[in-house]
Amino acid sequence: MEPFLLKNISNPNSADLSEYVKTGGYAALAKAIDMKPSDIIDEVKKSGLRGRGGAGFPTGMKWSFAAADPKKPKYLVCNADEGEPGTFKDRPILEKNPHLLIEGMAISGHALQAEYGYIYLRGEYPKAKDILEGAIAQAYEKGYLGDNILGKGIRFHLYVHQGAGAYICGEETALIESLEGKRGQPRTRPPFPVNEGFLAKPTVVNNVETLSNIPYIITIGAEAYSKIGSADCPGPKLYSVSGHVKKPGVYELPMGTTLKDIIYDHCGGILGDKKIKAVIPGGISTPVLPGDKLNCPMDFPSMPKHGSMLGSGAVMVFDESVDLVKVCLRAIKFFEHESCGKCTPCREGVGWLRSILVRINSGQGREGDIDLLMEVSKNILGKTFCPLGDGAATVVQSFIKHFRNEFENKIKEAVSV
Amino acid sequence: MITVTINEKQIKLEKPVTILEAAKVAGIKIPTLCHHEMLKPFGGCRLCLVEVEKLPRLQTACTLSVTDGMVVRTETERVIDARKAMLEFLLINHALDCPYCDKAGECDLQDLVVKYGPTTGRFAEGKRKHPESYDDPIIVRNMERCISCTRCVRMCNQVQGASAISMVNRTSKTYVEPFSGGRYNCEYCGNCLTVCPVGAIISRLHKHTYRPWFIEKNVDTICSFCGVGCTFTVQSRGDAIIRVVPEAGKGVNNGLLCNRGRFGYDYVNSPKRLKSPMIRKDGVLQETTWSEAFAYIAQQLKTIKEQHGGNAIAGVASARCTNEDNYVFQKFMRVALGSNNIDSVAGFAFAPAQRLFGKIFGQGVTANPISGIAKSDGVFTIGGDPTSVNPVLGLQIRAVAQQGVPVVTVGYAAGLRRFSTNRLLPAPFTETTLLAALVSELLKKKPLSGEKSAFGEIIGKLQSISLAEASEVCGIPVKELEACVENLSGVTNPSVIIGRDIIQRTDGHTTILLLAALVHILNGRIYLSSELPNEQGLVDMGCLPDMLPGARPVAVESFRKRYEEFVKGEIPSAPGLGLMEIIEGIKAKRIKALYVMGENVAFNVPGQKFVKEVLSTLDFLIVQDIFLNETAQRAHVVLPSLSWSEKEGSYTNLEGRMQHLRKAIGGQGIEDWKILAEISTRLGVAMQYRDAQDVLAEIAKVSPLHKGISYEDMDGGECMWPYKGEPLRHDAGIEGLSMPDMKSLLKKSDKSKLYIGIDKPLFHSASQSRHSAALNSISSKPYVKIGSSIAKRLEVADGDYVSLSTETDTLELPALVFADMPEGLVLVPNNVEERGAFKLLPWKLNAVMKIPALDGIEVTVTKSERMTAEVAA
Amino acid sequence: MLSEKVITEINRIKSKYQEPRSTLLPSLYVVQRENGWIAPEAMAEVGDLLNIPKATVKGVATFYSMFRHKPVGRHVIQLCTNVACMIMGAERLVDLLKQKYGLEPNGTTADGRFSLVIMECIGACGTAPAMLVNTDFHDNLTEENIFKILESYK
Ligand SMILES: Cc1cc2nc3c(=O)[nH]c(=O)nc-3n(C[C@H](O)[C@H](O)[C@H](O)COP(=O)(O)O)c2cc1C
Ligand code: SF4
Ligand code: FES
Repeated sequence: MEPFLLKNISNPNSADLSEYVKTGGYAALAKAIDMKPSDIIDEVKKSGLRGRGGAGFPTGMKWSFAAADPKKPKYLVCNADEGEPGTFKDRPILEKNPHLLIEGMAISGHALQAEYGYIYLRGEYPKAKDILEGAIAQAYEKGYLGDNILGKGIRFHLYVHQGAGAYICGEETALIESLEGKRGQPRTRPPFPVNEGFLAKPTVVNNVETLSNIPYIITIGAEAYSKIGSADCPGPKLYSVSGHVKKPGVYELPMGTTLKDIIYDHCGGILGDKKIKAVIPGGISTPVLPGDKLNCPMDFPSMPKHGSMLGSGAVMVFDESVDLVKVCLRAIKFFEHESCGKCTPCREGVGWLRSILVRINSGQGREGDIDLLMEVSKNILGKTFCPLGDGAATVVQSFIKHFRNEFENKIKEAVSV
Repeated sequence: MITVTINEKQIKLEKPVTILEAAKVAGIKIPTLCHHEMLKPFGGCRLCLVEVEKLPRLQTACTLSVTDGMVVRTETERVIDARKAMLEFLLINHALDCPYCDKAGECDLQDLVVKYGPTTGRFAEGKRKHPESYDDPIIVRNMERCISCTRCVRMCNQVQGASAISMVNRTSKTYVEPFSGGRYNCEYCGNCLTVCPVGAIISRLHKHTYRPWFIEKNVDTICSFCGVGCTFTVQSRGDAIIRVVPEAGKGVNNGLLCNRGRFGYDYVNSPKRLKSPMIRKDGVLQETTWSEAFAYIAQQLKTIKEQHGGNAIAGVASARCTNEDNYVFQKFMRVALGSNNIDSVAGFAFAPAQRLFGKIFGQGVTANPISGIAKSDGVFTIGGDPTSVNPVLGLQIRAVAQQGVPVVTVGYAAGLRRFSTNRLLPAPFTETTLLAALVSELLKKKPLSGEKSAFGEIIGKLQSISLAEASEVCGIPVKELEACVENLSGVTNPSVIIGRDIIQRTDGHTTILLLAALVHILNGRIYLSSELPNEQGLVDMGCLPDMLPGARPVAVESFRKRYEEFVKGEIPSAPGLGLMEIIEGIKAKRIKALYVMGENVAFNVPGQKFVKEVLSTLDFLIVQDIFLNETAQRAHVVLPSLSWSEKEGSYTNLEGRMQHLRKAIGGQGIEDWKILAEISTRLGVAMQYRDAQDVLAEIAKVSPLHKGISYEDMDGGECMWPYKGEPLRHDAGIEGLSMPDMKSLLKKSDKSKLYIGIDKPLFHSASQSRHSAALNSISSKPYVKIGSSIAKRLEVADGDYVSLSTETDTLELPALVFADMPEGLVLVPNNVEERGAFKLLPWKLNAVMKIPALDGIEVTVTKSERMTAEVAA
Repeated sequence: MLSEKVITEINRIKSKYQEPRSTLLPSLYVVQRENGWIAPEAMAEVGDLLNIPKATVKGVATFYSMFRHKPVGRHVIQLCTNVACMIMGAERLVDLLKQKYGLEPNGTTADGRFSLVIMECIGACGTAPAMLVNTDFHDNLTEENIFKILESYK
């Protein structure tokens, strides 16, 4: 498949507007600007595009909700917080292909009749900030942004807003709070952002990759687009592969490529041809899979059937040498560090999980600790305010489900000495 | 109509509410922690998780609204397990020091754990450590007990609008902190204490002094500090007040209090309280018996009356005393002593302003429920900072402001800084010009409609003055004035809140006319802020030189006759003297004796120097009070009376609401009304009241406003003006009133000069509050507020001393520097003996209303040698 | 005291947002870029500029892990130790930094040259382990090259 999202990122000047235009950039905008907003939304609906941020919500549907709300102004927010450990798929777009995102947002802005757009960029990507702001300046110059886009009297202004180190701000309502200059804690839903988001106005939050697919849909049409990859969840997908593979990196492949193909065909297999032990398929919040269960198509509907989730498509590969209790502990430390502190089970429960895992990992484990881990995770799961806490619980549960023996061994050693 | 089923029980609802509220309707209790009826839903603690059919996840009852046909279960095994789990989680970082914690016995978490909770905790590792903070004089912060419900922070932000505390950090390291990390330096409303479900924030006033179950008595009564009249329960043990607690849904304050109300009560337990009557013998006050004191007073007053007539005697009533006290006082003065020379500090601004507005719009025009502010679509405030004079009323302004309603603030009102849409800071004492311009402009946008009224005539006579001209005089950019007019012309039922400072002016009467015009044009509702708890009561009870109980002019024969019949005695037909005139009368030797009940004339009347001199020339001065204040120190006889919490009676607040005061504790001293009755009887005018109830019964007969009124009526709540009686239909008309002339309006104030203004501190009202250890621990020092431009010029920093001199006197005070103070104005409070603003003020009257005029008093400010940074909060 | 430069920058940013509150995070960045950290006085001043209560500013500033509340060294090493970097040897690098510079997490070297902050995932898992030094990005770190890189920061 011809890469689209990562088209010509090998070109050292790929971030420059003229280079982008050379390879057909902003043609989609020129086309879309003459379309009726509602037609664009229908096109996106037909394309079957589903959000790439992790939840996989149908994008066209989300847009139509916001479009249906009479409140004005409307806002379009690009979620560039990319905080899910293992995920680094948005970065090449932000740093090497910023105009694709800008074009996607300009089109989306027109579709939603939103006059303002914000790119909420994680603080950990300072370079991307400069690149984006440079690209935005160019786009204003050439009339792809501003009060009169391409002379068609359409108005869309775009700003970069820098986060400051909070994974939770990737969650869309926390992101909006943060955009409003507040502590990044999730909001109660309903009301949903599409009705009361930024400054209580209709707001669409979409992932970088999602928005970058829009120009593609406009260019080749929903028809053609929907034929790419999985039937019920089409389009190109960016998979970020890390860990013990020969060629880690970001791969643009048809949605639904199996884990096996990703790891062995595209990434050249396991580093040093060691045995594979485990894979986290969709970023750290998604359940871990044992190394022998790789025949699963990586898309939103299929993965749950195989005991995990697509998440952000961040594949983390662990070879036989890896101590998974340690990995589990590190993952939980991450969730503890990122818990926003709003709700009880996540704020208190995840810290408790950590303390149990610490003692197991440091050879202080006790009889019954595994059951306790399961019990505490159960008490967190499904009771938290937002999915972050659930993530922590699922991690522990999946690690114990598939690799209980590793936990047991550590405890046995401890108890025997 | 919505139908929901909770635990197989069908509930029908008019409008969608949360599951929690719906369950309440059905009498089903769902446990909660982060939820509080006074705050917006939060959904953090997860204790209220319930099962909702068709929804896979458990849902928080406090946030989810019911929909038609919804089926909810609150006691399934799944729900109960979740609850237990949440409690177990909460206990992980919650210090289990209940035996030592003040909250034990009234702690939500404790109760919930007892009811639902795990019996043992399985968390083995160490808890979060966080030393208890004693950095603040009032609030102890124990973050090892905090459960991050954020109720205090939401109260402080959403309701109080002080935003003095916030949650800091994230994860389980989250805790509550004021900016400094130590001292709160906030408004000290203490409303955070009300909402904390655990012992994380505790009042230092009674820390470790009691257990909730030690409280012997709970008495609902009314606060004694300001004219809002907040309701709270006094909790006491023996004759000591342990604390006062408000309750959501009760009183005008609906669960809220300000610092004075919540912490200031302790003045009643002050060791400085008067204990026994005193008579001046050989120049010194000496303790004596009540009977001797009564006899002595009666005999003295008798002789003075015989030698010089009743008009040689004057009386000062009290806005801190009850209606019952004040009713008996005026009866005593009129009937027993034959004098109409009766007034109080209410006569300085509240009464005359109300009188004038009454003449224009009809009696009772200022009687408006405070709750109405929240319903108005605009607010206009002038003449002081309502958030410090009447704090709980101020909260209503902040509330509407947060809903985006335009709030126009004229003059320096720091408490509304963040809440004003238009903040106008005119040059000192040029408000009249500003008002004239606003009225002129608004008349263009909203011309007077309807049939010609007498007042319409008067408004018509106003020579129109332009925003540009006003801008010249007031030093406010035309843009700002235009924006203000724009906002005002958009409103249809604004609240207009008027403070003392705008009335106590040489031109106060014309200013009131302009305000009335504004109210007329905007269809506004008037609120007169009132610094004391019973100013309205003084008016209603006839503690005015020209008014009888029920606000009936003494000069009108029919009213006088009716009164005389009831009291079975003759009273002088001519109106008496107001307080300022009384003092001049003393100076002129026309007044020989002064009877002061619960007022500190020597301190609370501007021009202290003059007043003190004059008072010491009296033949006979009687003071009835709870403290030996500056006035009492000059008295010939001093009588200890009872404080607000030690007697029954009633107050009438600024909205014209009569409220029942109940006796909470015992005290040394006698009710003011009883003292007067004793003396009256000895003067041959028998007064036989058994209790306050008897007095009220008489009021109910005598006053046409209070027909048949009783404490039951007040306890019923809505006992609003005109109570059960009828107001006076037409008070003597408004002819003779005239708008200010162009010349005076266009007069610019001299930029080279500095003028003194009166600051109204949030933490002290005056005579009582300075005896409150608690309030003094927050702030007891005098100070002067100066603008940064002056500070720069004098090279003084915050806390440095400056010396202030007026034609009258000189004071050295620490300076508080504010960037946003209006040019040419320095603000000094009048709340510390010998170091208050009134010491600096000369004796100056508004010739028309015979009230103090505090405008245009020049002051020279110089850097003082004393450089100790005695910091005034 | 905020410098004129900082104040003008904050006012410039202010003009681009509909809602002054939104200016808070960017403004805190401006302060941190200038001073390396955000002092309480600075929070108060930012609050005054944006008409946000200073306690609220503190609440926000302490929520985000990239805002610093104590002075830092000339160069801030932000080293990722999350899972991908961990399994590729990040922990070893932390130890080496301690050995070579006596540098502890959240600590600063005696000479005030480096401060070390342990980061959660910085989006370089494919080229782990990785770090940010100030705003410069460095990945594929090894026990050797990390010091070559750091030596270029004087
Ligand atoms: C804890 C948490 C973290 C998240 N982080 C991100 C993120 O870093 N980037 C992202 O695009 N979406 C993230 N999401 C998903 C967003 O909430 C939201 O669903 C998404 O941005 C919607 O965009 P999409 O429809 O294009 O996927 C996160 C969700 C949760 C609960
Ligand atoms: S689960 Fe709760 S504490 Fe955790 S991040 Fe979400 S809201 Fe915050
Ligand atoms: S009461 Fe509902 S979550 Fe706390």
